[in-house]
Formats: sequence, structure tokens, C-alpha cells
Amino acid sequence: MSVVHVMSLSTAAAEPWPEKATLYQPLKEDQILLSDSASSLAVQTFLRMCGLPVQVSCCANAEYMSPSGKVPFIHVGNQVVSELGPIVQFIKAKGHSLSDGLDDVQRAEMKAYMELVNNMLLTAELYIQWCDDYTATEISRPRYSSPYSWPLNHILAYQKQWEVQRKMNAIGWSGKSLEQVYEDVSQCCQALSQRLGTQPYFFNKQPTELDALVFGHLFTILTTQLTNDELAEKVKSYTNLLSFCHRIEHTYFKEHDRESQSGSPQSIVDIP
Amino acid sequence: MGTVHARSLDPLPMQGPELGLQADDMDLGEPEHEEKQEVLENKDVVVQHVHIGGLGRTKEDILTYEIADVFRAKNLIDVMKKSHEARQRLLRLGIFRNVEVVIDTAEGADALPNGLDVTFEVKELRRMTGSYNTMVGNNEGSMVLGLKLPNVFGRAEKLTFQFSYGTKETSYGLSFFKPQPGHFERNFSINLYKVTGQFPWSSLRETDRGVSTEFSFPIWRTNHTLKWEGVWRELGCLARTSSFAVREESGHSLKSSLSHTMVIDTRNSTILPRKGALLKINQVCLNQLLSLFHLLIFLVLQVLSTSLWGGMLLPLGDKPSSIADRFYLGGPTSVRGFSMYSIGPQSEGDYLGGEVYWAGGLHLYTPLPFRPGRGSFGELFRTHFFLNAGNLCNLNYGEGPRAHLSKLAECIRWSYGAGIVLRLGNIARLELNYCIPMGVRSGDRICDGVQFGAGIRFL
Repeated sequence: MSVVHVMSLSTAAAEPWPEKATLYQPLKEDQILLSDSASSLAVQTFLRMCGLPVQVSCCANAEYMSPSGKVPFIHVGNQVVSELGPIVQFIKAKGHSLSDGLDDVQRAEMKAYMELVNNMLLTAELYIQWCDDYTATEISRPRYSSPYSWPLNHILAYQKQWEVQRKMNAIGWSGKSLEQVYEDVSQCCQALSQRLGTQPYFFNKQPTELDALVFGHLFTILTTQLTNDELAEKVKSYTNLLSFCHRIEHTYFKEHDRESQSGSPQSIVDIP
Repeated sequence: MGTVHARSLDPLPMQGPELGLQADDMDLGEPEHEEKQEVLENKDVVVQHVHIGGLGRTKEDILTYEIADVFRAKNLIDVMKKSHEARQRLLRLGIFRNVEVVIDTAEGADALPNGLDVTFEVKELRRMTGSYNTMVGNNEGSMVLGLKLPNVFGRAEKLTFQFSYGTKETSYGLSFFKPQPGHFERNFSINLYKVTGQFPWSSLRETDRGVSTEFSFPIWRTNHTLKWEGVWRELGCLARTSSFAVREESGHSLKSSLSHTMVIDTRNSTILPRKGALLKINQVCLNQLLSLFHLLIFLVLQVLSTSLWGGMLLPLGDKPSSIADRFYLGGPTSVRGFSMYSIGPQSEGDYLGGEVYWAGGLHLYTPLPFRPGRGSFGELFRTHFFLNAGNLCNLNYGEGPRAHLSKLAECIRWSYGAGIVLRLGNIARLELNYCIPMGVRSGDRICDGVQFGAGIRFL
């Protein structure tokens, strides 16, 4: 399955995967938002695909504990690594990799599609959460600030919203309307659907980090209740993506105990 | 007989026969000289008028309290003493640059033969004073702007503002102080602030934005302060290499606390006193139900001084204490011979502080050997021999107090040594010591040999 490479990116590469590796994310029930939940699920899926056990720990201050300010992050031995990209590198240094079987062309393609998901899907999720006034008021701000008491909850929620809005400004998304964002999501899903075709995974038989990333985002979109269902509908219109999510959920999550399942307890077949 | 100025408070004693004698004597030349001598020899006098000249925006009603005592003087020595005391009271209001006292015989149509007029000539502080400093520190430069408005509304209120803009951090503070007219020791103040701190011994960075109000009042010989403080506290890691225990404390929290402090201070100086004692007890109740006792005892008797510090954090709920609330021990101002705050529980080299601690110190002061610069420069220096001890740990509050006492009594860190102490005016104290630390536990960082310390409060 995985070819053992000896790459000494850090001295920690020599240490084996400990039993007490932990993944940190915001509180699942009350606090975590769609974008963070998707990123967290992507990392968890990737670790399951590598066969590395990890414990999920929910903390109200996970975002501030993270060295880069983004969730999720993993605490392995005495190393702290955040976000999927660096985590993939870190795991590779430990000798586990999913993309070793790919040649250079395929690897470049995989990186390009991962960039597409990050630039389109993730940004769209952030836009809908924080730049759409209705969603921000009804869902994002109350959830984000739920662990804190007045007046700190308002201060932190608005601070986060302004920060995301500034970022949208910087990348040119602030001029977009909600409809345009949904269109972008649709186009992204179309590209992914076309690449996937009828294959079980994006690169035929073996899952790669791209599969983990796509699954993380799509599954979370399908199972998270927003103010309306438009986003989920866009994804559902591509049946091969639906069955792709179904397949990965069955293979990697239904096998283990229900408790270790992150995302929403709903499974895809229950959604009307 | 005669009229009395409206400012007098007590009925004034009159003595008929003496008055007659004085009235006659005052007309002559030489007898006048004798008369003055008579007055100087504790002759009864009456203070008729007390003037305060040079007032601008200061309201008179707060000053009447300070000068009221002068009217009660019965003889000239008393007048001089009470005038001096009134001058001190006027100066401590903090609204005058200087105060001069002039005592003269009473004049005017209603002047009594043994009447006196006391005049206080005051010079008010300017309405606004500003200051500008630049500071350069560890890889950081900052510019500090200060503004002070003494006596804002005329009753010794004070408004101060300080703003510090640096390459790394920005902080500011706004403070309003108002004493009760007539009782300067009873006062309240409101503060608004943002301060940032970096604590390399814990690899911790802290930013506090808060508002606090405090009331001070004396009760008999003690001074009490009641303070409410609301703080938005932000903790973060100082470096990527911070330990995970510190990383877990990162984030935002809201702290609302009510504290009471009692102080009895009979020392003759805050920096290097020669005699006196200080007792300070502080209790704080935080919103996460933590109660905190902090005790400082300081006793000095000429060449020997002892001090005892202690503190305890009592979690009344389930939540663990925060690293920013815990106590720290060690360093040139605490148990000498150890690095700054480097005693006690630690994780990967970051010191996490403890929930309970005690520390004691014993000092013997002598003048510099061979007494160089005696009488002037040399007086600022002292040599001292010291013995410091202390302990810091976390308690498992499930066990009884006996277990706690035994835990505090084991693993005592202590040190001894000698050094030179320099007193910098009434502002700070510098020390250069040779220390020998003992009772060192694994995990403590020591600084044996020469250690330099600068500060205000030393163990």
C-alpha cells in the first residue's frame, strides 16, 4: 500500500506514530462552522485512509491554539501541525503517503484540483457564512461566539466577520452576489465530476489526499443545515459525486464505531 | 470684643486684662521689641484670618478642610506647627506646585492685639502637562506620550492619559481620580487600559483590555481599597516552541473580579526603609469562582529586615485556574539565586506558575565597607547579607490542610548570599548580589553567582 520513504524533513520523522495523536477542532455541537467542519473532516478522512489512528478533541479555543490560526491541527508527539497541506507533508516525512503511486503528471493534476477545491469551494463556504448577512446573523455569529459570555461574544464574532470580509475584498469576491457564488460552486462540482467520471476514486483504484479533501467538503455541505438548501442542491445534482461520498463514508467511517465519526450523524441516504 | 472672620470655627478665648496691657505696649518703640519677645515666649494668640492667595481654578471649599486646624492654635509655637501641617496637607492634594506660609500680626479694623493672620501663598500646577519619551528595549522601540491634567474641575480631580506606540505592541491607559473633599484619603478612581506583556519564562504573551474602578478609604490606622475590574484577556504563545501546556491556555477570556486590599504601612520610606512595618492582605474573587489570598508582611528595624509573602488560589468550581492568575516565584526580586520566575511546575521549559506559594527573606544591612563617599553619595549604597526561602506548588484540594502544609514544607528552595543595594531616589532599588541557591529541584532554573536586580518590591 504505502512505500516507505526515508525523508528526514525533521528529526521527528524517525519517531513512529504515537497512540495519543490528537486532532483539535472547535466544539462540534454548538460552535464549529461549515468551513472548519469541512477542513476537519478532510484531515480525519486522510488519516483514516493512511490507517493512522487519531483522537478528536473539541476545544472552544482550538482556533487560537493553532500555530497558524486555522483549524484543524494535530498534536503528534511534541509536534503541532495545522491544515491539510502541512499535515500531508508531515505524514509523508513519517513514511506514510497516499500519492506515491502517482507519476509527476498525475501529481501535478492532483495539486491543481486541490487548489481548485481550496480556492472555489472553501472560499464559497466562507463567503456564504460571513458575507451573506442573513446567514451571518442567524448561524455564523451565534455559533462562533457561543462559548463566550457577553460582551466578549459580540466582539469576537464581529471581529471574525470583518476579518473574513477583508479577505474577500482582497481576493475580489466582495463584488460577487450570492447567485454568482452558487454558480461558482456548481462549476467547481462539474469539474470534479468530470474528472471523477465513473472511477471509484479520482486516481482510479487508490484514494489520495484529493479524495479526502473533496469528501470532506462535499459531505459537510450535504449534511450541514444552512439557511437554505441551495448549496446542497448544487452538489446533489452530480450523482457520481454523491455516490463517491457514499462510498468513502461506507469504507472509512461506517466500519468503525459511531463515536469516531466526525461530521453530522446523518448519513447521506437520510437526506430528503 | 472685635469681630471674627467668617472662617473661624471655634469660639475664640478672650482675656481682658492682657489685652489692655498689649494695646498700650504696642504704641511704643522699644517696648515693641520686648513685646515681640513676649509673644515669642508662648504668649497666647488668636488666629483671626487665614487667607489663601494665588487660587485660580481651585474651589475654596476643599481647602477649608485642610486649613481648618490652624484656627485651633493657641500660642505661636502651635500656630507655626499647625501651619506647617496645613501646608503639608495642601501639598499632598497634588494640585499646587508650592505653598508658602506667612504668619503676621492681624491687620484691619477688627484686628485683635494678639491676633494673627496666616497667609498661604500657593502656586497652582498648570492645567495640562505633557511628556514625550522614546524607549528602546529588547529589539523593540516605542514612543510614549503622557498627558496629565491635575485639578480638572477644581476639587483635586486628576485625569491622566498615557499612550505607548511601539514596533511590537501598543498600549494605553486613561485614569480619572477624585478624592472626597476634606478627606483626601477617601477617594475613588476609574481606569481604562490596554496593556500587553511578554513573559519569556512561560513563553506566554498576554494582552489585557480592561476597565476598573476602585474605592479607597481609611479605617483607623489601616487603608482599605475595594476594586472591581473587568478585563478582556487574550493569551497567546510567544514562540513556536512554546510548550503544549501553554498553547492550551491560548485564546480569549473575560475576567470580572472584585478585590479587597488592606494595607498598614508604617515604614519611613518605600524604597529601603530604615524602620517600620508593612502588612498588606489582598483577596480577590474572580467570576470563575476563584478566590485568591495574597499576603505581604515586611518588618524592618534599623539593620535587620524580614519579609514574608504568601498566596493561595482556591478553585471554588470545576474550572482549572488560568496561567495568568497563578503565582510565580524566583528571581532577583523574589527568591534570589534563581532565574526570573523559574521555580515550580513547568512543562518543556515553560514555567506554569503555582496555585499556592510562600516566600520569606531575612536581611542584614550595613553601610559600605570603608565608608567611601560618607555623608553624600555613599549614603545611597548599602551592603546586605540575605537569606531567602520559598516554595511554590499546586495543591490537590481533595486532600486535607495537613497534606497541603506538608507539601509546602517539603522541597523548600532557599538561597543565601551578600551584595550591594543602591537606592535610586524614592523610585527604585538596584541590587548586585552574589547568590548561592540551595534546595534546587529538577526543573528549576538557577542563577548562581552574580545576579543583578532592579525593581520596587523585593523579598
